[in-house]
Amino acid sequence: MSVKRRTFLQGAVGAIGLAIAQGALSKIAYAQGAAGTLRVAIAKPAGNLDPQSHYAIWAIQDLMFEPLVKYGKGGQIEPCLATDWKIEDGGKTLHLTLRQGVTFQDGTKFDAASCKWNLERWMGLDQFSWMNCSKHFQSLEVVDDYHVTLHFKEPVLALMQELSYTRPTRFLSPKSVGADGKFKEPVGTGPWRQISADDTQSVFEHHEGYWGELPSYERLEAKVVPDARSRVAALRAGELDLIGGFWIAPLTPEEGKQLEAAGFNVVVDPGNVTLVMAYNPDRAEALKDPAVRRAVSIGIDRAAISKVLYHGYAKPAGNMFSSALPYAGTQSDAPVRDAAAASALLEKAGWTGSPIRSKDGKPLTLELVVSPDAVPGSRVIAEVIQSEMKEIGIDLVIRSVDHASKHTDMLEQKYDLGFFLTYGAPYDPFGSIVGLCLSTFHNDVEGKLVTDPVNLDPLINAAMAATGDQIQPTIQKVYDWLRDNDAIAPLVYVPSIWAHSKRVHGFSSPVTEYDMPYENVLLAE
Amino acid sequence: MNMLNPIFARLNKMPRAALITIGLFVALGTFAPWLAPQDPSTQSLLDAGLGPSAAHWLGTDHLGRDTFSRLIIAANTSLVSVGSVLGVAMTIGILLGTIAGYHRGWVDDLLMRVVDVGLSIPSLIISLAVIGIVGPGYWTMVLALALAWWPMSGRISRAVAVSIMSKPHIEALRVLGASPWRIYFGHLLPGTIGAVMVYATADAGTAALAVATLSFLGLGIQPPTPEWGQMLVDALPYLESDPRQVLLPGLALTAAVIGFNTLGESIALNRIPKPLTRRMLAIRRAEVASWGKENSDA
Repeated sequence: MSVKRRTFLQGAVGAIGLAIAQGALSKIAYAQGAAGTLRVAIAKPAGNLDPQSHYAIWAIQDLMFEPLVKYGKGGQIEPCLATDWKIEDGGKTLHLTLRQGVTFQDGTKFDAASCKWNLERWMGLDQFSWMNCSKHFQSLEVVDDYHVTLHFKEPVLALMQELSYTRPTRFLSPKSVGADGKFKEPVGTGPWRQISADDTQSVFEHHEGYWGELPSYERLEAKVVPDARSRVAALRAGELDLIGGFWIAPLTPEEGKQLEAAGFNVVVDPGNVTLVMAYNPDRAEALKDPAVRRAVSIGIDRAAISKVLYHGYAKPAGNMFSSALPYAGTQSDAPVRDAAAASALLEKAGWTGSPIRSKDGKPLTLELVVSPDAVPGSRVIAEVIQSEMKEIGIDLVIRSVDHASKHTDMLEQKYDLGFFLTYGAPYDPFGSIVGLCLSTFHNDVEGKLVTDPVNLDPLINAAMAATGDQIQPTIQKVYDWLRDNDAIAPLVYVPSIWAHSKRVHGFSSPVTEYDMPYENVLLAE
Repeated sequence: MNMLNPIFARLNKMPRAALITIGLFVALGTFAPWLAPQDPSTQSLLDAGLGPSAAHWLGTDHLGRDTFSRLIIAANTSLVSVGSVLGVAMTIGILLGTIAGYHRGWVDDLLMRVVDVGLSIPSLIISLAVIGIVGPGYWTMVLALALAWWPMSGRISRAVAVSIMSKPHIEALRVLGASPWRIYFGHLLPGTIGAVMVYATADAGTAALAVATLSFLGLGIQPPTPEWGQMLVDALPYLESDPRQVLLPGLALTAAVIGFNTLGESIALNRIPKPLTRRMLAIRRAEVASWGKENSDA
């Protein structure tokens, strides 16, 4: 059979027309199915939502479970399940007034008894001794139905901040657990109750008896899309309304830029997480010399990294914590790249020669361990640093590892240089200072950013023991020590990037990377 | 010159386009360090993602490095790694294959079962396992791919060796009392190498692709050494904003792989006796006719 040109053209036009119509129809169909539903991307299934375990996506737990107090902008503590609190006895006693009229999603009343049941599930247990309030916990006393008093052995630093964490502090219905007291169903007091959850999505609907204001839309779907490019494509196709969040479904600066160019709303918040480079003098002899550490630090062009790799969304970091956090200390400017000064420092420290410097016959070779899975974008940053180090005569070898190997390598200190992310609000500054810098604190997840039992530990311990007005000056000493010794190299403050479709109005970035930013959202249909 | 004539005649039978592509690839790969106009690792972050210009003929990549220089140096990287992979794999394969073909019996059975196991596992999985154990790196990658590649050449070598061993001249050598060493090194090995090398060409494309795949996954060649697979994965985030960065290494890799495959295929086809075409028949007739003339002259 021969095909005439006319027949061919007609057929082609028909096929193209059908494809366009199908595309448009599917978009309409998606939009119709989504009426009253906010569709958010999550990078992996929500996981075991037990507030006392460590596996779930924080933001999903945030939808259902509420804390006693909330962490507001700039570290402001706001009432949530507790309407009032009073710290007495120099920080050793906490009087809580609980909110009245709160019910769990299964109808159970939230009162002093259920509060006590919840707090006793974790407070004082060894497993949670990383939290000061659990480490120093002594006893709990129910005053009446809505008043509870907590006693601690020692004054608890940042007590209210700790009580705002997502886990293990949030409240679970006492009736939702199994006969053995173990977690069974995710039932909290929050505005959303879980309808279903599997490996493809978690669906939530209003908790009708919620004490506060419910969102204007009735349904929230958290869809599992592991691949970053698929998430961007799904947002464009109208299958998703909202993507982003460092621990939820990360969006790279480049993707943000492309979505912005395509007419989507991209919301960038300066963020409160810092990307820091760690030195490991225990493995690399050369890094024992502060001059070499300083040379590495000023050899890095933070401004260019922020401008080109982060498209200007990130800010160069000169401190361990950004000013968005409380007790972040005096903010100093990020070091400006000065290759000549860096070379001079190395020269003076006895590292001479070219193209690669050496001392006593040993070349200045350092190994930088990166894991793009654990720290998104870190490989490209490593490549930039590698080229900049080459200019000042340092041979930087990049070793890419997967997420799991990164954790073991960091724990076993199998690196000369490595990237760390600070924990961010609400954990910081104390969380990262203790978890990443105190040598006596056992951290078997990230490893240590820097430790010095002789010089740094006493400063940290003093800051942890300080109360009231003493906190600021004592923690400043920790920051000063870190800066004066070039013990770490803060690189950039990692921005929080979100993108949403035109359906979403009133969106604002969450206060911490652990919250789901559903609250101010309005949906236009 | 006369000695080269058969080579030219043979090359003439190859597809011209594939020959030029591979010739270019080998030439660029060999002389890359002298041909690249700029240092492929020199970054200029503020010039990142520039289009083609007089200073950068094919533009710059996401870190402001010269794309043209990187493509050329990457040809060298690919050539060296593919050469090493095939070299190691062929050495192991030919050695074991000829031993099996020479010895036969239980040695043959044992070695060929090992080859069977090797062939039954996909090569990429073997490579991933080796890299998983040893850790990523250039030579690890070469070793891993070689370990995945040798069973194929082992199988072919054995077949060739068996056919050589059954030829009359080997039998004659045996009758004359030639030592096993003489038979093996003087007759069996050279004959096998020649035949198996031909198949190596066909495999080069697949090997180049495997090198690029491993580098794409971050398990092969490590930065800052330019490599096509790595250039591809680096450019992937810019697929939409600057497709040039993805297209150029993609095209280079595609051309090399298709070139090798076409070349390998035509070499293999040239070794199969073909039915005579009318033109060839005429040439043969003319030739036969000339024999008569020669005879009459004599």
